[in-house]
Amino acid sequence: MLTITAYKIFPLPAGSLLAGGIAAAVVAVASLILAAGRKVSLRETARWADARKQLQERLSTALELAAAPGAGESKDLLVRDAARHAKDLDPRQLLPFRWPMVSRWALLVVALGTGLGFVPEYRSREFVQKQKDAANIRDAGKQLAELTRQKLAQRPPVLEPTLKAMESVAEVGDKLDHSTLTRSEALRDLTSVTDKLAQQTKELEKNPALKPLERAARESTTGGTPSPGDLQKQIDALQKSLGSAAGDPDKLEKLQKQLQQLQQAAANLPDKNAAASSASQEQMSQALSELSKQAQELGASLPGLEEAIAALQANQTDLFLKDLDAALNDLDKLKQMAKAMQQLQQQMAKLGKDLAEQLKNGQAQAAQATLQKMIEQLQSASLTQEQLQKIMEEVSAAAEPGSEYGKVGDYLKSAAGQMRKGQQPDAAQNLAAAAKELDKLLQQMADAESLQAALDALDQAQLAIASGKGWSECKRFCRFCNGAGCGHCRGWGHGVGRGAGVGTWADEGLNYLPEQGEAFDNSGIVRPDMDPRGRTDRPDDLNPDLAPTKVRGQISPGGSMPSITLKGVSIKGTSSVKYQEAAAAAQAEAQAALNQDLVPRAYQGAVRDYFDDLKK
Amino acid sequence: MKTEESIASFREKHAALRAEIGKVMVGNDAIVEGTLTAILAGGHVLLEGVPGLGKTLLVRTLSEVLELTFNRIQFTPDLMPADILGTNIVMEMPDGRREFQFQRGPIFAHLVLADEINRATPKTQSALLEAMQEKQVTAGGEIRKLAEPFFVLATQNPIDQEGTYPLPEAQLDRFFFKLLVDYPSAADLTEVHNRTTENTKVQVNKVLDGAALLELQQLVRQVPIASHVKDYAVRLVLATHPKTETAAPIANQYLRFGSSPRGGQCLVLAGKVRALTQGRFNVSFDDILAVTAAALRHRLILNFEAEAEGITTDHIIAQVLKDVPRNLEAVKA
Repeated sequence: MLTITAYKIFPLPAGSLLAGGIAAAVVAVASLILAAGRKVSLRETARWADARKQLQERLSTALELAAAPGAGESKDLLVRDAARHAKDLDPRQLLPFRWPMVSRWALLVVALGTGLGFVPEYRSREFVQKQKDAANIRDAGKQLAELTRQKLAQRPPVLEPTLKAMESVAEVGDKLDHSTLTRSEALRDLTSVTDKLAQQTKELEKNPALKPLERAARESTTGGTPSPGDLQKQIDALQKSLGSAAGDPDKLEKLQKQLQQLQQAAANLPDKNAAASSASQEQMSQALSELSKQAQELGASLPGLEEAIAALQANQTDLFLKDLDAALNDLDKLKQMAKAMQQLQQQMAKLGKDLAEQLKNGQAQAAQATLQKMIEQLQSASLTQEQLQKIMEEVSAAAEPGSEYGKVGDYLKSAAGQMRKGQQPDAAQNLAAAAKELDKLLQQMADAESLQAALDALDQAQLAIASGKGWSECKRFCRFCNGAGCGHCRGWGHGVGRGAGVGTWADEGLNYLPEQGEAFDNSGIVRPDMDPRGRTDRPDDLNPDLAPTKVRGQISPGGSMPSITLKGVSIKGTSSVKYQEAAAAAQAEAQAALNQDLVPRAYQGAVRDYFDDLKK
Repeated sequence: MKTEESIASFREKHAALRAEIGKVMVGNDAIVEGTLTAILAGGHVLLEGVPGLGKTLLVRTLSEVLELTFNRIQFTPDLMPADILGTNIVMEMPDGRREFQFQRGPIFAHLVLADEINRATPKTQSALLEAMQEKQVTAGGEIRKLAEPFFVLATQNPIDQEGTYPLPEAQLDRFFFKLLVDYPSAADLTEVHNRTTENTKVQVNKVLDGAALLELQQLVRQVPIASHVKDYAVRLVLATHPKTETAAPIANQYLRFGSSPRGGQCLVLAGKVRALTQGRFNVSFDDILAVTAAALRHRLILNFEAEAEGITTDHIIAQVLKDVPRNLEAVKA
């Protein structure tokens, strides 16, 4: 009781309640044991009975004198008198079952304790704020450490200072998570590490050879440019899955629409017994057969369609609808895969055709692959003069864009000169050195990205601690893509959040703009925030069926509305509120949201129309 | 005679005494009961009350129902010890010789009424000390035993204090009980008026002689008392001793001196008498409780603070009875 009262008034830890409960239980058990082990003497019993039944000390006197030495008439008299009175004693009357006074108090204490349980704890604002801050700091530290360790495990930095810097970030995260720090102490620690990382990032950024890679990464939405070989592998895998249907996603879409129309018609079929039923079924069966033929011609395998035809002929409407639905799903998957392959092919087409273009576009991986291919050709014994000439021209042309990559340009120039002189082995060595230099730059780029990501995480942690909000509420988006996903922020989990998505520039806030440390090059910006989101960091050798596809968002007139996931409590059961009231309330809320610009502008018209329709 | 029969006889005689005294005395049952208790225990009684409440009547009636010699001494400031104890005077013998002979004073009786005892000087009051405690008188260098049973029943007036001498503590301590005689109730007063203003004469009978009374006193001393009851009496006495570990808080605050051991003796003896009058042959807590005030009130000496605040010994005894638990073992448990 005392513990509960103290807990309600003072900011004691919740464990004190448990300790108090255990102490009370121990005392209760100990009291029980002591009471059970206590022996009551006959003398005490006699005195108790005297007092209880007001026997005027007859029993206790007789008992005492009976035990005394010597016999006498008075002793006999006393004993007889006591016996006469003891005869009338009834143990049930002496000890009737009743709650002792202490138990009533105990009951009162239990009742008070129960009542106190419903009384909210008093905690001062300062204490609550302090607790919240501490929880925020712990959460931010935990998230920071986890993210950094995850990053380190995924892609360990090559450079020793970067590795140490990343580890120091993780250590700071651990410190925040496990130590009890005030807000200012936590911010001081974070600032210290942030400064250290920022300094190191600046050092890396000084390298001019990284500029084209940075630019390419900014423009890319897929996290860097994959090598042509990888792209080709993915395309081949998709081709294998799709077969001959791969070439024409539009036809697949047309087929899908026809099938959907049929599904709607099937849902409206008349009763089995109706006269019109058999005629309608016949028509539908024919239409389905035609669609099946078209699908076969396209090379799409739709077993659900065949089963649906069979079910229709067997007059099993439910099974027919189910099979039709399965066929539609299969068709949808095929269509998605076809589109994905189309996009891969487009991406493949964007790859630089030769080394010069690849270097110019910042496609370092592709350039590496090209260089490797050239080296192999140069080392090959069957290298023709014509091929050598072609390589020499390509390398010569690539020397200029290669000069942006530090020594790469020099190596390429040397290689071109050596090839002119017919020194193929030396040229191959120079090309290998150029490839190695590119690899080194890519690694540095990866380190810079890691540092940048760590800086973003530190920023997020600082914001979370400084503003007193949760980690997830303080999501900082990539300064290059603002959370839409790009090569800079790959793997750092851009989630849902305000700012990104369909909207206007005004909606995006200041975070969209990159750091204004130097002249801003926006020549390659293509509004990646317009692209669909939901991309995650996936391995390159992912099953093509699971590969995410990029579909540009669109609102077609008469089509279904894009869904928006709203947070809230799901309430099941029958509504006790009248439809009109509910619709009016919903419309009022929607209007308020519209007035406060909480709905993206692109959706405002649709939202207004929807709720106006509800009112009708 | 068997003990059981003795007890029955005791109760009969006690009841007879009450009945005979009741013929004369109206009301004041507690005073009558207290006086009888003291007599059956062999103790002296100090009756205190304003004039006209029947103190002297009670003692005189008692002398009538008991077949004992009775003397009354009216204490006055000029009363001398020799007037109480007696003195040697020159007597002429039949043969013409003259010799000193001891002339017994009024103390030489079984029952002595010391009326308005506080009016005599302390010197005279002290003349009773030896007689009351030792039941003997030393006069002219000779010790003379008083007849048994011997009782002093003294009265004193709490008002009209001019020209009085408060009894010394040693003298007070020799009284078994101090009984406070209060005003009668309306019914009792009416009855008193009826009896005293009409031409009626009440005849009281002798109930007990001296030998029978001594037997009853012996029976009283045979009554057993359990150790825990005895312990209670002891703790009550100890609780009145200020500035000791056993003292009750109120004793520390208001008492200068507590009860003497005689107080404890009185408690036990009076408790035994009460037990017999109740038909029991054992002393109970209630017996002790019932006689505590009468046995201890004159043995407690108040301090200045109590006098100033008007605290009486009866207040203190009532509080001590509340503070001292009956069963000490129960308290310890």
